[in-house]
Amino acid sequence: MAAPMQLYCWKGDYGLPSVDIDCLTVLAYAKFAGAPLKVHKLTNPWRSPTGILPTLQTRGEGSVSQPSKIIIHLRKQKYNADYDLSAKEGADTLAFVSLLEEKLLPALIYTLWIDSKNYVDVTRRWYAENVPFPLNFVLPNRMHAQRLGRLQLVREDPALEPGEQLEQELYQEALECMTLLSQRLGSQKFFFGDSPSALDAYVFGHLAPLLKIKLPNRKLQQYLSSLENLQLFCTNILALYFPSEIQAPVHTAPTQADGGDMDHEPHKRWNQVMSVLFAMGAMLGYAILTGIITIKSAHPHLQESRHDDVDEEGEEED
Amino acid sequence: MSLAAEAFVSQIAAAEPWPQNATLYQPLREDQILLSDCASSLAVQAYLRMCGLPVRVCCRANAEYMSPSGKVPFIHVGNQVVSELGPIVQFTKAKGHSLSDGLDDVQRAEMKAYMELVNNMLLTAELYIQWCDDTTASEITRQRYSSPYSWPLNHILAYQKQWEVRRKMNAIGWAGKGLEQVYEDVSQCCQALSQRLGTQPFFFNKQPTELDALVFGHLFTILTTRLTTDELSERIKSCSNLLSFCRRIEQTYFEEDKDSQSAGSQYSRGPSLF
Repeated sequence: MAAPMQLYCWKGDYGLPSVDIDCLTVLAYAKFAGAPLKVHKLTNPWRSPTGILPTLQTRGEGSVSQPSKIIIHLRKQKYNADYDLSAKEGADTLAFVSLLEEKLLPALIYTLWIDSKNYVDVTRRWYAENVPFPLNFVLPNRMHAQRLGRLQLVREDPALEPGEQLEQELYQEALECMTLLSQRLGSQKFFFGDSPSALDAYVFGHLAPLLKIKLPNRKLQQYLSSLENLQLFCTNILALYFPSEIQAPVHTAPTQADGGDMDHEPHKRWNQVMSVLFAMGAMLGYAILTGIITIKSAHPHLQESRHDDVDEEGEEED
Repeated sequence: MSLAAEAFVSQIAAAEPWPQNATLYQPLREDQILLSDCASSLAVQAYLRMCGLPVRVCCRANAEYMSPSGKVPFIHVGNQVVSELGPIVQFTKAKGHSLSDGLDDVQRAEMKAYMELVNNMLLTAELYIQWCDDTTASEITRQRYSSPYSWPLNHILAYQKQWEVRRKMNAIGWAGKGLEQVYEDVSQCCQALSQRLGTQPFFFNKQPTELDALVFGHLFTILTTRLTTDELSERIKSCSNLLSFCRRIEQTYFEEDKDSQSAGSQYSRGPSLF
């Protein structure tokens, strides 16, 4: 147990430790279990050893990249947040995680990645701004296509189109799932009493993005905010286990992004100047190439006109 | 089905009582039906029996194509057609037959969660073993699935289906799992169910619910179906309370037709557990 295990995950924003559902789940579990991890918050999945985020790099056993596998691995290393649970509670965990994956996750993916307004205004924008240069043109679209494909296969409808009907079906299931979770949680602090477990990590991972990311189309979010105990549950976990995230990144909140973009990117002004120069250069180059503007050297022209003048003068003299 | 249509159907459903000629359609028992379809069909039958609603089981080679959602089983009641357990439960509820009315909110949440567990783990594992394990797929699944069709349609349909299921497994991240890990998942799921059941007669004490029907459908089918190996059923047999749970439900709800019907009907549930 010399060097700590290394966890690679998506960078945080919006007051969340990470913007990705799976990464959030793993981060929360690691905090609950008190696992000493060296966390790398990346904006480029290619820098993770498997190319997937989240990934846990272990000693001797290679890299693990599915949240459930990461949690199992942490448990084997004696970082177990579920140690106090009875066998029946362990069974409940498994059941509710299935419920989350089957009912809530599809709607969540829909609202973040498929709903066109949310995707274009928030999700794609975030990834395009944060992922480093050549990749930012490709990656958001690829992630979008992957998620759409996944949704089509899970719904077993290859012709599935984003639209009213699909949205209604998915949201109805998600609303039911959130209601069930809220009923199960009741007035408890965590799902199984006073200390958090894997189920809390999963629920937190799925609900926190919904709570924190400001989306233009916010039907799901509105419903979640009507379930006070779930909302409180998420804010509690954020405050207890990720206190640094709440204070630090306030200035990146999208509500301020419209007016206050200038101060969170240090090279903004430089980039603006460069892009204006580049655009001017491109326009000029195009204009010259297609012959809208022609450049003739001024000298011969002057001389010609002088000749003309001379000729004219000559004519006048004649 | 769209929500508007669903609301409409449930309104109509409420108006009419359960008819005597309700029919449940499933693929052919003897040579066509697959493990996963058989489990789903048995779950629906068990559910309807628990509700005390009579239904006639009808086998059709093209049941899959008759179903509105493309999945078997489906029931034909009056002039409505409803497929799969979830919608059928809703449908009977609209008619005033419900098994989960006695549960409180927390119990209902737990029931739904465990039903998703069964769908997520057991059903997916059944599909995986059927279509993604090469031995089972070539020796059993493709042959049975395509048995009503002649050459070359049989091969086309079977491979098409296999391709579909494999793509789905890919999408949900099961494609990378080995067979051993799938068995491990089944074990884990059964242990969870076994823990939940404990010593109670049903999952929520005295009264059966749709969860009991679903669990019975899957476990009984796995226990009584012969595959290339016994591995899958062995995993269930390690939980003795689940075994006695299956026996109990079989005795209570499927007992009466043991004598009256021929061996053919038993084949749908395979040989009995007794």
